[in-house]
Amino acid sequence: MRLPFVFAIAGREIVSTLRDHRAVLANLLIPLLVLPLVMLGLPLLIGGLFGREAVTESEVGAEGLERLPAALVRALSEENIRLIAVPDAAEAVRSEAVVAALEIPATFAAQLRNGNAPLTLYRKSGGLRAELVTEKLTGAIDTFQKARVQAQVRRAGLDPNVLTPVVLTTRDASSAAERASGSLGWLIPFFIVVWTLTGGQMVAIDATAGEKERGTLEALLVTPVRRAEVVVGKFLATLLFGLSAALVAIVGFLASGALLGLLFIGRLSGEAGELASSLGGSLSVRGGAVLALLFSAVLLAALVAALLIAVTLFARSLKEAQSYVAPLSLVLVLPVVALQFAEFFMHPLLYALPAFGTLLLMNDLVQGTFFLRSALWAWGSSLGLAALLLWFALSSFRRESVLFRT
Amino acid sequence: MILVEALGKTFGSAPVLRDVSFAVSPGEVFGLLGPNGAGKTTTLRILATLLAPTQGRAVVGRFDVVRKPERVRRLIGVVGSGMGLYDRLTGRETLRYFGRLYGLTKRQVDMRIDELDALLGLGDALDKRAGDFSTGMKQKIVVARAVLHDPDILFFDEATAGLDVMARRNVLEFVKHSASGGRTVLYSTHVMGEVEELCGRVAVLHGGELIAQGTPQSLMHEAGVGSLERAFFTLVERRLEVSA
Repeated sequence: MRLPFVFAIAGREIVSTLRDHRAVLANLLIPLLVLPLVMLGLPLLIGGLFGREAVTESEVGAEGLERLPAALVRALSEENIRLIAVPDAAEAVRSEAVVAALEIPATFAAQLRNGNAPLTLYRKSGGLRAELVTEKLTGAIDTFQKARVQAQVRRAGLDPNVLTPVVLTTRDASSAAERASGSLGWLIPFFIVVWTLTGGQMVAIDATAGEKERGTLEALLVTPVRRAEVVVGKFLATLLFGLSAALVAIVGFLASGALLGLLFIGRLSGEAGELASSLGGSLSVRGGAVLALLFSAVLLAALVAALLIAVTLFARSLKEAQSYVAPLSLVLVLPVVALQFAEFFMHPLLYALPAFGTLLLMNDLVQGTFFLRSALWAWGSSLGLAALLLWFALSSFRRESVLFRT
Repeated sequence: MILVEALGKTFGSAPVLRDVSFAVSPGEVFGLLGPNGAGKTTTLRILATLLAPTQGRAVVGRFDVVRKPERVRRLIGVVGSGMGLYDRLTGRETLRYFGRLYGLTKRQVDMRIDELDALLGLGDALDKRAGDFSTGMKQKIVVARAVLHDPDILFFDEATAGLDVMARRNVLEFVKHSASGGRTVLYSTHVMGEVEELCGRVAVLHGGELIAQGTPQSLMHEAGVGSLERAFFTLVERRLEVSA
């Protein structure tokens, strides 16, 4: 393998791709610009909606409003709920006159004295606003119930604590890195797989099917360069471009997460704050783990790049190559999706699965755990598969039926 | 020197080249004449080490195309009608890229570009991107790319197909210039006039078989006609009759 030839081929592929402004826009600029917009915009939008609904008055229909005790009306009012009399609670919601409505039976006041007084709440399922109003409403009714029960318990000469013989407290036992990482353990491998595929395919398709379609492949193959050097050069260009797109996406994501934390997180309501930190998280990986994470990222990207070259080489035109790559994105996203559920079927041997083992390892690294044995299994299997795919690409590149399939 | 002995090629179970033999001496322009599908491109691709023969052998320079493909590729330059350029590279960048692949230094490539500019009139094509080239500009850079490393042996495969009169004339003049400089040229075409103008000897291919070879005059004499075109048809008809 003569490296100057490999680098010459890789360099030509990179220059050609960089001059394709549409490719650069789609693979480098869009991740850089869109991700921060999504990162900042989505939580702010949702936070704004949550916050506004919490402080503004919500109208709730009430069928039989006059039967509701004044104390309960007051409790609801304190939660910014204004009751409006409606003739039919269910119909009022169906016709979208209100997002939620209470049905208060004629016997409500009488049954309230003995407990288990029935109240029916009508709302449409699936609506975010209806969910928020329901939360406000159930909160107000809970407060009313507690106050009423505690008063009755006191009247009976008992301590209200008898109502809660057990108090369960939940504490987060995860490490600082696990807490800080949010969803990054899953999102970083996801970005690497998806953006390496998106960024790499522009180079891979042009470097294989594009060469055939343009008629430049034959000119390349009559030079003294060896076919292995051609394949490795094209693979390196695909890897570099794919990895760059993935890194740009990750940097954009982390930067916007950090910016969101600095500027807005304190101002968001509780739910929006949780959502924002779960989306963003913050990478608190140090020392050797950074190197291990980078090495894993390069391996994962190499696997995707080798797969792209091996697959697109078979196509005789750009269009055909694109049709081969489209299903690949589905295949490659599957292990990333499975990563989210890995704790349900976790086994040490899973680290030996090519690609999936590396995804597990990256998840561990982002969450601050690392076991050398798992890492060696993960790296070894991914490296092996990437080498196998490259070998397959090279053997295809030596086949006349593949090269001259026009 | 080019030596082709009992060359054969099969794609799957279909033979596309059968028992073809010819030899080309140094400094000679040798024509491969035949209609589409005759086996001309397959022959040239075998000689350029792109395809492996399924029978026979071929030697280019002093090297066997199967045993020493890399050595062969250092000696040859190939101009094919289907050969394209990288749309997003300028002519100069294309030549520098291929110069690196031929193992030339940047200085050597730049000197060679100047020589080829003077010879072929590369002009604007050097600093324009290939995507903006006219057909003539494209063909000049394709030819310059093939001879960048100053090869001893040149293969032209339907090199004038689709070219306008001026661009075609440039290619023909370049072939004459190359031969006068001592290069060996294997010129494949189905245009009889080009063979008459350029080639000292010619091999006629039909259906993957070599049906005749010699000087244009000897082929006309063998067919008993007064033009190479009529000689070609007569020789093909005779072969078809024998086959039937």
